[in-house]
Amino acid sequence: MPPRYGSHPATGSRPVLRRGVLAGLIGLAGVTSATAAPLRFPPLLDPAVPDRHPGKVIFVELVTPDLAAARRFYAGLFGWTFRDVPGDGPAYAEALIDGRPVAGLVNRPFAASEHRQPAWLSFIAARDVDATTQTALQNGAKLLSAARDHPDIGRRSVLSDPQGAVFAILGSSSGDPPDMLAAPGAWIWSSLITRDPDTGAAFYQTLFGYEVFELPAAPGVEHLLLASDGYARASINPLPADQPGAHPHWLNFIRVDDAVKAAAQAVALGGRMLVGPRLDRHGGKVAVVADPAGAPFGLLEWPDTESKEVPK
Amino acid sequence: MSTLFPRASALLVAFGVLIAVASGCAVTDGGYGYEGGGLGVGYYEPYGAVYGGWAPGYQVAPFRGGDMRGRGGGGGGQHAFRPAGVSRSMPSIPSGSRSGGHGRR
Repeated sequence: MPPRYGSHPATGSRPVLRRGVLAGLIGLAGVTSATAAPLRFPPLLDPAVPDRHPGKVIFVELVTPDLAAARRFYAGLFGWTFRDVPGDGPAYAEALIDGRPVAGLVNRPFAASEHRQPAWLSFIAARDVDATTQTALQNGAKLLSAARDHPDIGRRSVLSDPQGAVFAILGSSSGDPPDMLAAPGAWIWSSLITRDPDTGAAFYQTLFGYEVFELPAAPGVEHLLLASDGYARASINPLPADQPGAHPHWLNFIRVDDAVKAAAQAVALGGRMLVGPRLDRHGGKVAVVADPAGAPFGLLEWPDTESKEVPK
Repeated sequence: MSTLFPRASALLVAFGVLIAVASGCAVTDGGYGYEGGGLGVGYYEPYGAVYGGWAPGYQVAPFRGGDMRGRGGGGGGQHAFRPAGVSRSMPSIPSGSRSGGHGRR
């Protein structure tokens, strides 16, 4: 006669006991995991302010496979300092410049075979995240992460726009950062690089109420500028036509005093040059580099003085 | 006695798995920019995405304050968006300096 399930012909009920203990441990592990403290993100502003600036990029976040390497890189390049955010999730660091938060960095290791391309995620301010998300979906966006609350930070959702550029909507519970000139080492500008700037502008105008300005550009090329509250918030540029591997994306720029030096330093710290320093319409230079994990970002000179070079 | 243990252990295993799955989906989320979804467990661009390739004249920066050089059409032509009125001056980025009191120290 074969042994009954859960028993053993020689030792009776001991294997059953072992299974029970094992199951109990699994259950305990599950309970422990479920009750683990989630990451507690700090508010954007403390003390909170009542100001709202819909359409402004108010936060950026990077998921990186090597947080320690990223910290070394950004600290060396911009003088960022970091504060660990407590919690039982993946390691998360808040980056600061002069004591003010500039970014969040998440550690998420992956194998090279996973073929992932890290990138900075832009969070655009909205008064009503749910309504804005709904409007985005009604206008062709794809929902990547539904609106949800995060204590202290606020409410957010993540979407890809109709052309595929990924962005997040954030309703900050502590108000939006004030409109002031970014300090060197802080984010100063954003660009949407996309296939069709015209319909891209229409989409984001519907969401955030932007004023849209046409910028001078070569014949057949459309360069646009998005503004809100009377301030320029972002440019929209077409994807280079001769780059079949290019993908619509948001690109954020950090203010630097010298784009040539900063770009060279980025490379020396293990980064990569994507667009060499070049004169732009504001009379300063811009460059695009990637950090050691491949996340692209821009460098933009913005001299305090009115002296400037004029692009030819 | 021996029939109780399998049932109890099965229940415990099921409970453990249920909790573990639930915690993996919702509790130990890292970073509020992602939680899985269409791009997997984080925000990544498509692998092999190409950046750069900007031709001469490809400009991305804002104008400086008060600079109206080469103001675009602002209403000319057909667009999917509503162009700013032609009387609107080209805006720039904020120029004020920090006076303190904002952000965290």
